[in-house]
Amino acid sequence: MIDAGQKTVPLLMVAGVLLLFVIAGLLYKTREHSEYGLTGRYTGRIGGGAAIASNWMSAASFLGIAGLIYLYGYAALAYVIGWTGGYVLLLVLLAGQLRRFGKYTAPDFIGERYESSAARLISALISITITLIYSIAQFKGIGLIFAWLLGIDYSKGVIIGAAVLMAYIAISGEMGVARSQKLQYFVLMVTFILPLMFLAYRLGYFWLLPQFGYGKAVTALATEFSIDIAAPFSGFGLFHWTALCFTLMFGTAGLPHVLSRFYTVPNVRDARWSVVWGLFFIALIYWSAPAYAVFGKLLEARAGMFFPPETAYKMADTVVLRTALLGGLPVWLIGMLAAGAVSAAFFTVAGLLMTGAASISYDIYYRLINPQASETRRMAVAKGATLVLALAVLLAALNPPGLIAEIAAVAFALAGNTIFPSFLLGIWWSGTNRYGAIAGMLTGIAITFAQPLAGGFMPVINTLFPLTASSLCGAPIVIAVMILVSRFTTPPSEEIQRFLAEEVHGEQQ
Amino acid sequence: MKSFARKYSVNLFRPKSAYMKGEVLAMLFILVLWGVAAFGFQLWLRLSAGPSGKSWLESFTFFNLPFHYWFTAQMLPLWFIIICALFNVFIDRLTGKDSRRREDYHD
Repeated sequence: MIDAGQKTVPLLMVAGVLLLFVIAGLLYKTREHSEYGLTGRYTGRIGGGAAIASNWMSAASFLGIAGLIYLYGYAALAYVIGWTGGYVLLLVLLAGQLRRFGKYTAPDFIGERYESSAARLISALISITITLIYSIAQFKGIGLIFAWLLGIDYSKGVIIGAAVLMAYIAISGEMGVARSQKLQYFVLMVTFILPLMFLAYRLGYFWLLPQFGYGKAVTALATEFSIDIAAPFSGFGLFHWTALCFTLMFGTAGLPHVLSRFYTVPNVRDARWSVVWGLFFIALIYWSAPAYAVFGKLLEARAGMFFPPETAYKMADTVVLRTALLGGLPVWLIGMLAAGAVSAAFFTVAGLLMTGAASISYDIYYRLINPQASETRRMAVAKGATLVLALAVLLAALNPPGLIAEIAAVAFALAGNTIFPSFLLGIWWSGTNRYGAIAGMLTGIAITFAQPLAGGFMPVINTLFPLTASSLCGAPIVIAVMILVSRFTTPPSEEIQRFLAEEVHGEQQ
Repeated sequence: MKSFARKYSVNLFRPKSAYMKGEVLAMLFILVLWGVAAFGFQLWLRLSAGPSGKSWLESFTFFNLPFHYWFTAQMLPLWFIIICALFNVFIDRLTGKDSRRREDYHD
C-alpha cells in the first residue's frame, strides 16, 4: 500500500496506547458507575467538553478531513464548517430543552414524546442504520492503518483490525473498563498535533502553531507548482457546497451518539457550556487537519509525484500517514499518529456499537418484544447484537463504497432527514403528533436513499438529493410533512403537551 | 380544538412566557449570525468573482493564508465558538432574571 513491510515500533505504540486506556480505565473504575457506555464521570464544563470532543473524534476527523482537502481543496472545507457549525444548531435549538426533557437516546425521546411504539421502533431502526453506516467509515480507517502496520493488503487489514477491535471491546467490557474521556481527548490531541508541528519544522514553516504556519505551504504550492488548494468551489459548486454543509450541520444536531452526551452533565447550564468547550476542542483538530493535506500535497509535488484523479481518490484517506512518511518523521512519531488514528476509530466504533446494541436490546427487545426480560437476558441480547452489528459492518467495509468522510456524511444525511426534524418539532411545536413524526421519518428515509434508488431514471434527484448532501432540500420537506400530517390527525395527549409546556419550556406560574 | 391544546400550546413562533420570548429572540439572533457568516460569505465570494473567475477576497493574504480560505477554514469555527458563548451568556442572564427554580433543576 504505502510502503511494504511490518512496522515494529508503530505496532508496539498502537498496542501501548490501547493498553494505556485499559489500565487508566481500570483505575477510574472504582470511582465511576458505567452502564451501556453512556455515562462517564462528570468533571465540570471543561471535562464535559472534552467528553463531547472525544466522543466526536473519529477516523473521519483524524484521517477523512485531510483526505478530502487533499482531493478537493477549498470545497472540502464544507466538512469543516458543517461539523463545527452543527454544534451551533445543537446548542441553540435543542441542548437545553433536551436536557430538561430528560431522554437521551433518540428512540427513547421519540418514543416518549410521540407516545408511540411504532415511532420508537422506526427511530430505533434509524439509529441502528446510522450506527452501521458510520461504523463502516471507521472500519475503513481501521483497515487502512492495520494494513500499513502489518504490511498486508487492505481486506486482510480490515479483518485483523476488526478482530482486534472486538477483542478490545470484549476485554474492556468483561473487566468493566471505564472510559476516561479526558485522557482520550488528550491522547488524540497530542498524537495529531505533535507530528504536525514536527512536519512544519522539517519543512521550515512556523512550527509552534502549524495551523498558521501551513499558509506558506499553500502559497508555495501555488507559485512553485501552480496547484491552487484555495481556489473556491473547484471540487464542486456553491449549491452542492451549501447542501453538503447544511446536511452535515443538521446531522450533527441529530446524531444519536452526539445527543446522548447530555446525559453526563448534571444541570442545564453546565450542559450548555460544555457544548462551547466541546466545540473548541473539536475546532483545535479541524484547524489542524487541512495542514496535513497541504503539507502532503507539497511534499508529493516536490518529490515529483503527481497522480491522476482516480489514483489520488484511492489514496486520499491515507494522506495523513503518507505525509508523515514523506516528511521523514521519526518512526516513533509516525507510530504515535497511527496509534491516535486507531484509538479515535476504536472508541467511536465501541461507542456506536454500544448505542446500536442498546437500541436493539432496550428499545426493540425489551420495550416491544419481551417486557418481562431480566437484566441478564437484556445484557445477553446486547452482547449478541454487538457481534452481529460488527460482522455486518465488517462485510460492508471489505469493499468500502467511498472515502471515510463521504461514508460518514451519508449517516449524517440520514440523521438530518429523520431524527433532527423529529427532535426540532417535538420540542418546539406541541402540536406535532405521532402520525406526523412517523410520516416524516419515513419520508426522510426515502429522501436519504433517493439517489441510489431512483437517481438513475430521475436525474433531478441527483441534483436535489445527492447521497451525501440530501438534507438541505430534504429536511424542510420532512418538516412540512410532519406539520401537515399532524394538522390533520388527532393532536397529542394533554399529558405530553403539559409536560412540554411546563417542564421543558418551563412556563412559570 | 380542545381547551388544553390552547392552554399548553408550545410554538416557536408564538412564545408565551417572557422567558420563552427571550429564548426565541436569542435563538433567532444567533442563527442570523450563524447563517450570514457561514453561507453569506460563500455567496459573497461567489458573487464578487470578477471576469477572471477570481474574487478580490482571494487576492490578499491574512495569517499567511489567502483571505477567503482563512475566513472559512479558521475564522468560521472560531466564530461558531464565539456565538455559542454569546448565546450562553444571554441565556444565563435570562435564567438568572427569570427565577431561581431552574437552577439545578435536575438532580
